[in-house]
Amino acid sequence: MKGFLNKLPEQAIRVIVVFLVLAAGVFVIRQFIIPPEMKEPTLQKLSSMEREADKEVKYAGAQACGPCHEKQHDIKKTGYHRDLSCESCHGAAQKHADNPTDVKPTSPQKRDYCSYCHTYNSSRPTGFPQINPDTHNPRKPCITCHDPHNPKPPQTPRSCTACHAQIERTKAASYHALLGCTVCHSTPEKHKLSPRTVTPTKPDTREFCGKCHDKASPGKGVPAVDMNAHGEKYVCWQCHYPHMLGGI
Amino acid sequence: MEAVQNFMELSQQVVGFIYPNEIEIHWSILIVVYPYITGLVAGAFILASLVKVFNVKELQPTYRLALLTALAFLLIAPLPLQLHLGRPERSYEMFMTPNLTSAMAMFGFVYLWYLMSVLLLEIWFEYRRDMIVWSGEATGLKKWTLKVLSLFSTDISEKAVAFDKKTVKVITVIGIPSAFLLHGYVGFIFGSIKANPWWSSVMMPVVFLFSAIVSGIAIVMLLYMIIMPLRGGKIDMKCLDKVASFLFYAVIVDFSIEVLDFIHRLYESEESIKILSQLVTTKLFMSLVVLQILLGMLLPLGIMVVIKVFKLQEELRRLLYFVCAVLIQMGIFSTRWNVVIGGQLFSKSFRGLTTYKMELMGIEGFLVALTLLILPFVILSILIKLLPPWKREELAGN
Repeated sequence: MKGFLNKLPEQAIRVIVVFLVLAAGVFVIRQFIIPPEMKEPTLQKLSSMEREADKEVKYAGAQACGPCHEKQHDIKKTGYHRDLSCESCHGAAQKHADNPTDVKPTSPQKRDYCSYCHTYNSSRPTGFPQINPDTHNPRKPCITCHDPHNPKPPQTPRSCTACHAQIERTKAASYHALLGCTVCHSTPEKHKLSPRTVTPTKPDTREFCGKCHDKASPGKGVPAVDMNAHGEKYVCWQCHYPHMLGGI
Repeated sequence: MEAVQNFMELSQQVVGFIYPNEIEIHWSILIVVYPYITGLVAGAFILASLVKVFNVKELQPTYRLALLTALAFLLIAPLPLQLHLGRPERSYEMFMTPNLTSAMAMFGFVYLWYLMSVLLLEIWFEYRRDMIVWSGEATGLKKWTLKVLSLFSTDISEKAVAFDKKTVKVITVIGIPSAFLLHGYVGFIFGSIKANPWWSSVMMPVVFLFSAIVSGIAIVMLLYMIIMPLRGGKIDMKCLDKVASFLFYAVIVDFSIEVLDFIHRLYESEESIKILSQLVTTKLFMSLVVLQILLGMLLPLGIMVVIKVFKLQEELRRLLYFVCAVLIQMGIFSTRWNVVIGGQLFSKSFRGLTTYKMELMGIEGFLVALTLLILPFVILSILIKLLPPWKREELAGN
C-alpha cells in the first residue's frame, strides 16, 4: 500500500484527499445530521401515518346523521340526492355530533352552492340536471322551488323541450323539424315524474324508418331507399343521426 | 386577485376545448433556459474533447476556452430549476436521500458526476502547472486564490506534467459519454413522458444531444471571436475555419435527425397529429418555422455552404461566421422553447390550445431568465481573468 502511494504523483494524492474529504462530509451528514425518517421509507411512512392520524377529525361520516334527523334521512333516502352524504352540503359536522345543542352545522341557502354541480357543463353526464344560472330564475334561491333532500322539478314538465331543449334545438334545424318527438319515441306518462327509471322508447328496427323512407312507402319528397339493399343489417340510426341537420 | 385576472386573460386566448388545469402552463421560461444552458455545456465539452481525444490540432486555441465556457454554464445550470422549484436550501437532500426510481432526482447525480469527476478534474489537471507558475508570479489575493485552487500543489517536474497530460486525456475519454449522458438525460426527461405526444419520442435524447453539440460549438466560436481580439490576440483563421466546419457537420446531422423525427411523426399520424399540426401552424409558427428552422438552421446552413463553395476573404468569412453563430444560438434557444412551451400549449384532449403569457418581473419571468443567461458570461469573465485560456506568448505569437 505504502509503495503504491509513493508511486502516485503528489497532485493525484491531493485530489484524492479532496474527494475523500467530500465523501466523508456526505457520510457524516447522512449518518448524523439527516433524521432517520428521511432515509428509511418504512419509518417515513410510519411518521406520516402518525402525523395524519393526529389530525383533528372534522367529518362525522355518512352514518352519523340518521339516528337524530330521521325525517330528513328518510326523505333523502329515496330522492335523487340519496348518494350524497349530508356533510357534502352541510359541511364538516363532527363538532355538531359531539355537541348537538351548541354547535350547529351550516346549510347553504344561496344559489351559488347548488350551481357547483348543476351549472351547465358539457363534460357532465347526459341526463344530469343542469341549468344556466343566468337564465334559470335569476337570483331566486334554489330551495324556494326545490327541496334539497328530495330535489325534483317543482312541476311536471309539459313538453319534451323542458328537459331536452338541446335536442329540440338541433332537431329544429334538421329535416325532421316538423315531426313531433312522439312520432318516433313513445313516452310513458311516468317518464315526466321519474325520468331516469321510466325511459321513452327508441326506434330499434329498420322497418320503423322504412315506414317513410322505403321506396315502397307513400311519402312524397322524402329521401327513399331500397330497404332490402341499403345498409344491410344495420339499424338506420347507426349511420344517420335523426336529430341532426340533414339527417346524415 | 391578480392571479384571477391573469387566468381570465388567458382563458380568452384558449382555442377549442381544454381541461381547466391546462389553461395556465406550469413549466415556464426558466425550464426553457435550463436545457439551453446544459446543452451549451455538453456541446462546449465535445468541442474541447476533439482536441484531446481526436487530436484535431487546429482547434487547440479553443480548447481551454471551451472548458471554461462549459464550467461557467454548468455552474448556472441548476439555478433555473432551483428558482422554479423554490426552497433551494433543500436541494442538497437530493444527494443525501437519493430516489433511484425518479429520472428527475437522478439529475443531481448526473450533474455532480459531470461537474466533479469530469469538468473540474480536467480543468484542474490542465491548469495545475500554470496555476503553480502564476501563483509564483502573482501577489496578494490572486496569489493565494491560485494557491488554494492548485490545492497547494508544487510539483512541476516533467514527470508530474506528463502525468497531468495523461490524466487529462483519460478524463476526456470518460467525459465524452458523460457529456452525452448529461444532455441525453435532459432529452430523456421529456422523451419519457408518454402522456405527451409532442415529447414522447425515443428520438428526443438524440435530438437534444445534437442540438447541444451545435449550440456548444457555436457559442465557443462566438466567444473566441469576441474574446480573442479583446485580449489583444489575433483570431487564428485556421482554427476558426475548422470550428466552423465541425459546426457545419453538426448542423447537418442535427437537421437530418430533426427532419427524420418530423417525417416519422407525419407518417405515423397518430391521433395527436391534427392538434400538433394546428400547434405548429398557429401558436408555434413564429418560433418553430421562422426562428428555429428558417433563421436558426437553413439560413446558417446556406451561409456555410456559400463560405465552403466560394473562397471568400478572411474579413467576410469572419463576419459570416459571426452571423451564423448568433443565428444558431437563437435557433437552438427556439428549439428549447418549442419543446418545453410547445409541449404544454395543447390539451391532452387533443381538442384545444392555450397560450403562454410570460411574466416580466416575477421569479419565473423574463428578467430572471435574462439574468440567468447573462450570469455564465460574468462567471466566464472571472474565470478567464483567473485562468487565462491563452498564454502571453500565444497571444503575441498570433
